[in-house]
Amino acid sequence: MAPKRPQISYVIDPRFPGGTSSAVADELAVAVQHGAVTVHAVSSAMLKGRAVAPVLERALADMGLRLVWDAPAIGGDLVVLHNPGFLKFQARLAPRIVAHRLVVVTHENFSLPSGRPGFDVAGCLRQIDAASYTAEKLLAPVSPYNRQTVLAWAAAHTAAARPWAVAPEDWFNICATGAATATPRPRDRRGRHSRAGLEKFPPLADLDLTFPASAEMNVILGADTLMSAGPQRPHWALFPFHGIEIEQYFEMIDFMVYHTAPTLRESFGRVLAEGIAAGKVVVADPDTAQVFGDGVIPARPAEVADVIARHIEAPTRYAEQVARGRTMLARFSADRFAQMFARHLAPAEAAA
Amino acid sequence: MIVIEAGRRDARSLDARLLFAADLAAHGYDAVIDEETVPDALARATRYDAAPYLAARADLAPAAIVVIGAEEIGDDALITLRDYALEPDVPIAALGRFPTHQARMGAEARLAHATARTPAIVDLEAEAPGIAPGTLLPLLAAVRAAPSGATTPTLAIAFGADLLEDPQTLPLLTAMNNLGALRLRLITTGKAKDEIKGTRYAALPVFSITELPPMALARGIDILAVLGSGPPGERVASLATALLARGGAVIDSTDDAALAATGAPVLRGPATLAGLPGFAEHTVLPNRTEIARAAAADAWIARHALPRIAALAGLPAPPERGQRARAPRALFVPTNGNGLGHAQRAAQIAGALPAGLSAAFCAFPSCLPLLNARGFPAAPLVSPTGAHEADDANDILNALRLARAIRPGDQLVFDGGYVFTSIFRTIFETGAKATWVRRGLWRPGQIAESHLDREKAFDQVIVPGEAFDELNTDLSFGPHIHKVGPILQAAGDEAPDETRKALAGAIGAEFTTLVVSMLGGGVAADRTAQLQTISAALAHRPETAHVIVAWPGAALPPALAQWPNTHVVTTLAALPLARAADLVISAAGYNTFHELIYARTPAIFIPQIAPYMDDQERRARAASDRGVALTVLPDELIALSRAIEAVLDHGEGAGLSAALADLTLPATGTGEAARRIAELMA
Repeated sequence: MAPKRPQISYVIDPRFPGGTSSAVADELAVAVQHGAVTVHAVSSAMLKGRAVAPVLERALADMGLRLVWDAPAIGGDLVVLHNPGFLKFQARLAPRIVAHRLVVVTHENFSLPSGRPGFDVAGCLRQIDAASYTAEKLLAPVSPYNRQTVLAWAAAHTAAARPWAVAPEDWFNICATGAATATPRPRDRRGRHSRAGLEKFPPLADLDLTFPASAEMNVILGADTLMSAGPQRPHWALFPFHGIEIEQYFEMIDFMVYHTAPTLRESFGRVLAEGIAAGKVVVADPDTAQVFGDGVIPARPAEVADVIARHIEAPTRYAEQVARGRTMLARFSADRFAQMFARHLAPAEAAA
Repeated sequence: MIVIEAGRRDARSLDARLLFAADLAAHGYDAVIDEETVPDALARATRYDAAPYLAARADLAPAAIVVIGAEEIGDDALITLRDYALEPDVPIAALGRFPTHQARMGAEARLAHATARTPAIVDLEAEAPGIAPGTLLPLLAAVRAAPSGATTPTLAIAFGADLLEDPQTLPLLTAMNNLGALRLRLITTGKAKDEIKGTRYAALPVFSITELPPMALARGIDILAVLGSGPPGERVASLATALLARGGAVIDSTDDAALAATGAPVLRGPATLAGLPGFAEHTVLPNRTEIARAAAADAWIARHALPRIAALAGLPAPPERGQRARAPRALFVPTNGNGLGHAQRAAQIAGALPAGLSAAFCAFPSCLPLLNARGFPAAPLVSPTGAHEADDANDILNALRLARAIRPGDQLVFDGGYVFTSIFRTIFETGAKATWVRRGLWRPGQIAESHLDREKAFDQVIVPGEAFDELNTDLSFGPHIHKVGPILQAAGDEAPDETRKALAGAIGAEFTTLVVSMLGGGVAADRTAQLQTISAALAHRPETAHVIVAWPGAALPPALAQWPNTHVVTTLAALPLARAADLVISAAGYNTFHELIYARTPAIFIPQIAPYMDDQERRARAASDRGVALTVLPDELIALSRAIEAVLDHGEGAGLSAALADLTLPATGTGEAARRIAELMA
């Protein structure tokens, strides 16, 4: 008799518009190789009225999976709940979760750079804890920085954190290495892309520094809040979120320059990985850049012009930087993720 | 400068912002609202409410930002805040009622991301829940001047339109309005006010809740009773809070004790209107002092004190503002009407004020030369120009100017027929004493009920009488109405012979007969035909000088000067010329008419008969019916020529003079009007 395949359940609200859905789409492709996967969709108050993220819809269709909406009970050897933040606008997680191991992937940092809470972490985790009957409950950070915020929260909220252990390895986003090659003649063509939220953008003064009139091209994708009102900058090419295809956007730029509001720090920085995979030199604020080591050039807004100038005058330097980025992305490959994922399944299989 | 933003951009949020701005301003803060965050189309009352606080974005220099209604912050507000590109040291405070921990954290994070700083969060539900649950407006006790202290306290009753469904409501309110112990003020919705004004109970003193800002509405109220079901709206809640803060009594007569349930120091009163008069008169009135003392000592007031919340929000202290001290004065505001009559009359009264009480004017530009010539300081108001889409654009500006001109202790004296919104609001908003000088003789229907509704702003109405008693009619009644004799310019010391001699020198012509034409400035109607007729009639009389008196700035056809014997004289001193004349041909406006009659000068009156003017024809006919003047209608040009001939050639002039000499006239009222104004300030 063939060994029983591990039962793996995902618990998500599939309507997240950004990185969470993309990350889940990528990792489902790994998960299905390790067990029988069921994807449970929870209708959260937070994302009410939104549609399922297209990237996830496509991935599910490719794998022949379907969403099971609002099941009263969810079971499995391993249950993976992505981004507990989707529970922040409600008081109760409806389904009962019965599993050997429950992993809660903490896509959102538990605190802001100011030290203030990022969201009602205790409230969200309390809902999950109250709804679940499991041997193990793990919080799985997605990056070293994300881990710091989780550990700091746990230390400061011992009672709320008591049911939870923190996974020893990062539950990182799978990043495709990409096949694009570096342009041999880089020009001062800059761009950034993100969701439209104000938290994704630096103050206007910094945006002016990083996308100046002197640049040959400044492309901002996800610029909804800059288009609806606010400053008029004729030298900015503004597109709303999903306004153009991502490939079209990358064709317009040679440098990706990414800074967020100083009150936010990306938990992983998936957009940076996309820039690297597209064969661009990626420049970001030093904190966000850390996740990707020397694959991303750390620079504050005032330093960006100099960084770009140096890479334009020396195309070799540009190509070397693109190569470093690609090397770094290999650390976030599907294979490495699969190894990490298998280690999570091992205890469950042993118990079976 | 404190910039006030709201989480949402709807009408309710704007109203809450305006009320909060008014509260902050009352505490000395320079509170402003970015005009780009305000909808273009605003209700009329809102335009007036907003005017003192709107600022162009380019002029914003924020010392702090306060976001109210922060439990729901939309992208519009966040984008605006981002676009301010605030200096790093400018704090942001978010005031809201956060239903969950997440809501509070979410507001904090969103504001932080948009502005790159951590906002101070003030949870009103915890810190200052207010007198009505769920209001956007932070209901803070802005402690101000004590209640009116009037001998007869004022009871205000706030109620919704549903109360009118009971047929006993208006009769009951009317009965209460006649209680000697209390003055009544009704506060309700605009719809309910209109409904009441359409009934036979229209005389009830009703205010729409949006007619005035709550703080202004609270002035003069000593006791407020709130009726209805459930918590009151933002404005009534704000009114109740304002009253509590200044030691007034608030009676919770709601069905479900909605106010008392909040812990505010209110009195639980009867839930029916019928029980209210007895409760107010026998329970509240005798204990007013103790009620005020207990409320002042109540922890609720301290908890809701604006300075406390300002401190929680991290607002900087309001700037020190010194205001140059001066003695209280009477600020006269004559309307421009169709001529200078209102300004003339106001200047007469101002000139008769007792020594020690100074007068100043705010007046339309057309009146300024006259007032300056009389020696009064006069600040300009703005006339309507037609250049703005809103027909009240000039009046909004005037409201701002009037508010700046009034200081504590001043009295506003308005002379005019229609009480502009600027006048009405200024009186309430500044708390100034107020007098309305309102001459009579309106055409039927000319004074609408809505015009008289604004009489409630005034402490007294002085009605200058007409010389002929049948012309005196009453528009409204009450102890605040004071009828005085005709108010007119007192005759000067100029001897008629000296005036004629000086005139002869000035026009370079000798004459034995002087005819003076004063047909007005041509505002109501073109008088060229009449002036041509008069000039033609007098052209063949070499012994006659015909002087056409024109106010400075008045436009007259240049061709008039071509007539033999006719001279155009531009002067503000028309009365000495008229007194020196053998015949005056004049419009029958109040001032000129009475000046001619009291000077006993033979006159032909050509009444102005525009529908928006006083009933000049009746006034002229009253004189001609007594044989003391002739009346010719504007289109009766042949009759006009004949009347001139009759006076100058056929003895009619002597007849008029004889009748005028025998005429008994009432005493003039200038002195009494001045005395009443002075008494009101005492």
